Amino acid sequence: MARIFGIDLGTTNSLIALMHSGQPRVIPDIRTRNLLLPSVVAITPDGEVSVGDQAIAMEPHLKSAGNGDSANGSPAATESHGVVIRSVKRFMGLGGADLAEEDRRRYAFADFSGPVVRFKVGDKTFTPPQVSAEILKALKFRAEEALGNDEKVERVVVTVPAYFNDAQRQATKDAGKLAGLEVERLVNEPTAASLAYGLQKLTSGRVAVYDFGGGTFDVSVLSVKDGIFEVLSTNGDTHLGGDDIDLIIVNSILGELPEAMRGDRGVWNTVRLVAEDAKKLLSFQEGVVVEIELPGRVLKHEISRAQLEQFAAGLIDRTIECSRRALKDAKLTPGEIDAVVLVGGSTRMPLVRKRVQDLFGREPLCSLDPDHVVALGAAVQAGILMGTNDDMLLLDVVPLSLGIETVGGVVERLIFRNTTIPTSVTEMFTTAVDSQTHVDIHVVQGERELAADNRSLARFKLGPISPKPAGVPRIAVTFLIDANGILNVMAADEDTGRGHMVDVKPSYGLTDEEIERMLEEAIDHGEEDVERRLLITARNDAEQILAAINKQLGEYGRLVDDDERREILAVSAQVEEARAGTDRDRISQLVERLNELTTPFAERIMDESIKLALEKKSVGELT
Amino acid sequence: MDGAKYMNCPSCARQLESAELACPHCGGPTGAELDCFAALGLAPALVIDGSALERSYHDLTRRMHPDRFVRRDPSIRDASLRATALLTRSYRTLREPVARGTYWLMRRGVKIEDNNRGVPVDLADLVFEVQDQLAELRGAERGSTAWCALADSTALRRHEVAAQEHAAAADLEANFRRWDANDGDPAALTEELKTVLARIAYLRTLGRDVDRELESVEAA
Repeated sequence: MARIFGIDLGTTNSLIALMHSGQPRVIPDIRTRNLLLPSVVAITPDGEVSVGDQAIAMEPHLKSAGNGDSANGSPAATESHGVVIRSVKRFMGLGGADLAEEDRRRYAFADFSGPVVRFKVGDKTFTPPQVSAEILKALKFRAEEALGNDEKVERVVVTVPAYFNDAQRQATKDAGKLAGLEVERLVNEPTAASLAYGLQKLTSGRVAVYDFGGGTFDVSVLSVKDGIFEVLSTNGDTHLGGDDIDLIIVNSILGELPEAMRGDRGVWNTVRLVAEDAKKLLSFQEGVVVEIELPGRVLKHEISRAQLEQFAAGLIDRTIECSRRALKDAKLTPGEIDAVVLVGGSTRMPLVRKRVQDLFGREPLCSLDPDHVVALGAAVQAGILMGTNDDMLLLDVVPLSLGIETVGGVVERLIFRNTTIPTSVTEMFTTAVDSQTHVDIHVVQGERELAADNRSLARFKLGPISPKPAGVPRIAVTFLIDANGILNVMAADEDTGRGHMVDVKPSYGLTDEEIERMLEEAIDHGEEDVERRLLITARNDAEQILAAINKQLGEYGRLVDDDERREILAVSAQVEEARAGTDRDRISQLVERLNELTTPFAERIMDESIKLALEKKSVGELT
Repeated sequence: MDGAKYMNCPSCARQLESAELACPHCGGPTGAELDCFAALGLAPALVIDGSALERSYHDLTRRMHPDRFVRRDPSIRDASLRATALLTRSYRTLREPVARGTYWLMRRGVKIEDNNRGVPVDLADLVFEVQDQLAELRGAERGSTAWCALADSTALRRHEVAAQEHAAAADLEANFRRWDANDGDPAALTEELKTVLARIAYLRTLGRDVDRELESVEAA
């Protein structure tokens, strides 16, 4: 049977891992050795997709194709120029009406009313599960390439934020399906992290996992005993992450710009990237001066760590508040926690570490890289499902209560938050008027008293019911939340014992038919997709080497003679020409040839730099 | 929905003679609906050893969980899902004394009405005093000396409510022991159990009301 792989489908980065000799390992890209795949997807106007570093490399091209125009102007002006989508995870499970103002400004969307958000690129639209599927396909491709033995990646465990609701989980499963993967299990990210640590040092006790990622915050409290990882409570915010800290920095920088520039999508993107870098640097140094290239000038802006901490304090407060609520739900005090685990890139911030340490009164664990630990845990869960880690078992909880709308729009809770899953509840329904043939049921998720204040999950019609006086029919409806945290509904007539058709219409997300259609389209393009990805890779390689040679000929031109230069330029021109075409093999061959041709040149540069370095050093020693 | 007696084991297809969580032949999940005690392999009794209960829950869940039946026949996976959901529900019910007592009554056909039956007589004084105090606190000007004093005495009241709840929990345990020892007329034990449960429910609601007020005090 095919092996199961573990995938961390993150807001900022995604990873794929597997169990190897009893230990989880993240699989690197064989070319770059990178373990992280940036969760960035670029789509050109003609629908060509690239992912990760390749998508980031596309950004200037898409921009030069006219992405620098004002967002305040007509949105139609930007729609035909392709798009680079970051943090697509933030859009999973959202309906058009859920889009925040901030997001509406960042991307072009097809409509603001449907049950699924749709990104608009040219005359095509892409749903978040489709975009996420591209990231999953890239991970699948990466792993298959690295394994290199014709082993296919078909079965996976995918992690999701613990606080993801039903629609967000369903959207993640849909993404897997669209990528041609069998999602054997969704695992909550903090719980996955505890599994990764579980193999190492957490074998018993009470554990708090604080997971502050790029886009989401989760906290889970677990009890670990006899290999059973039992979640006691979870809390979080699916729209609170490092991205939000970046935004505050962005706004502070934009404040220094003339009014007219602030709405510019191109400027906005540049500032956002600079802000993210600055934030990362400030985890290691006290201050940083950022330089922002603007049309016509360079803006210098100084940010100190103290300033950043002031910006971020409010957001960190919210994470601490969530942590307190999780502890309260677990009926524990901070002092009763035996270990605290840090997960997610945002936990690199010194202030975050300090606040967590202050809350729990103990130093948090971070021996596993906070960017890798979730993927490692996903691989451990994959091992559990394959039966190789069968002394371990994960018992997670449902993050939000589930209920049905009753008279007057009031919610009757059927399953309370923090109930261990899988779990089920059976509720009796009957008719309100004589000869009623259907009963409408509205399922909601959330903690508020009124249905309208909670997240609508699904509506379904129970029936057909054979005509009887009001109140006579007895229909038992079972609401079952499976181990993925996803709701399943079954109904049976109490008198006849016959099962009822339940036609569940999810309030958000894609219908089965839509997924089928997308899949059919995708299968048609399956072969093409792989070929296209390889072509993009070859083109990027070509671009890289051309840029490098160009730069070196400028800097170290004196190290080549005229014949050599002429030859290098000739082959470069051939590479350039091939790059514009679609013959991948030809591009690769020419790149290879150029590589060989320039090797002696590269060696000379190396010698020269070493010499220079040594000279500098001796000068330094003299003074 | 589950005619357990007529069922065949979804894993080994052999006929099952009685409703059990795991098939006596192959050990696989049967998916049968069982009593909470039976699900966890316990004889029906009200006094329960918490750690033994947890061990049993862990042990059975480890064997029945859907993680163990990935890619098996849908009927087996369905049975595993049902068995695990049943184990979780049973564990949650039996672990907590109030839920356990309520379930015990339900099992004997006694329904507990919603606790709208009015304040238990001996709690009346406490309840009215606390409610008055909460009303006064809400009415007082935030941060004023009177408000601070009220907040302090409300916090003290909270301890009093907690102490009462603690005492009621002890009464509950005593009632449990008498049931298990067959010490008393079942009708009288049932009445007593109902009274203690109602009392605890009332004290908990009262405690929550006070907590909510104290939280807003802390926030201010």
